[in-house]
Amino acid sequence: MPRAIRGVLVECDPSIKSIIMKIDSEDHAFVVEDLDDGTLVIKENMLSILKMRLDEALKETQQPPSDSGSD
Amino acid sequence: VVDQIRLWQIENERMKATPGFLFKDFESQKEYDGCVKYADEIGVLVWKNDGKRMFFVNRMEQLRDYIKSRKVK
Repeated sequence: MPRAIRGVLVECDPSIKSIIMKIDSEDHAFVVEDLDDGTLVIKENMLSILKMRLDEALKETQQPPSDSGSD
Repeated sequence: VVDQIRLWQIENERMKATPGFLFKDFESQKEYDGCVKYADEIGVLVWKNDGKRMFFVNRMEQLRDYIKSRKVK
């Protein structure tokens, strides 16, 4: 008997997906099923929170490195 | 039937999110093939992966009835 799992299918760029997987790895609160490089299913009620976290993560990665630098 | 598909622009990238149901754990290739074919015919199929025997639909009522009707001969 097949199972039906409620969720939201997210189709995105593989780079975006890897960020989502990183966010999820902290508490596994978002991802229901990892499907392929650019596709995954997430919990329906977590979609808006995930989008917020993703926006934050993208802002961080797109900021130019500050002068605190690496040494 | 109007499907609700939301498109988001996240910075420069696109992310498409479709609410619905993931079907998995099919007992046989035949069962999977039949369900995917039906889902496609009634226009609810959004995504599928034949290798993993999984697919995603945006509506499940009709498909659920179809699966039940296959079980009860």
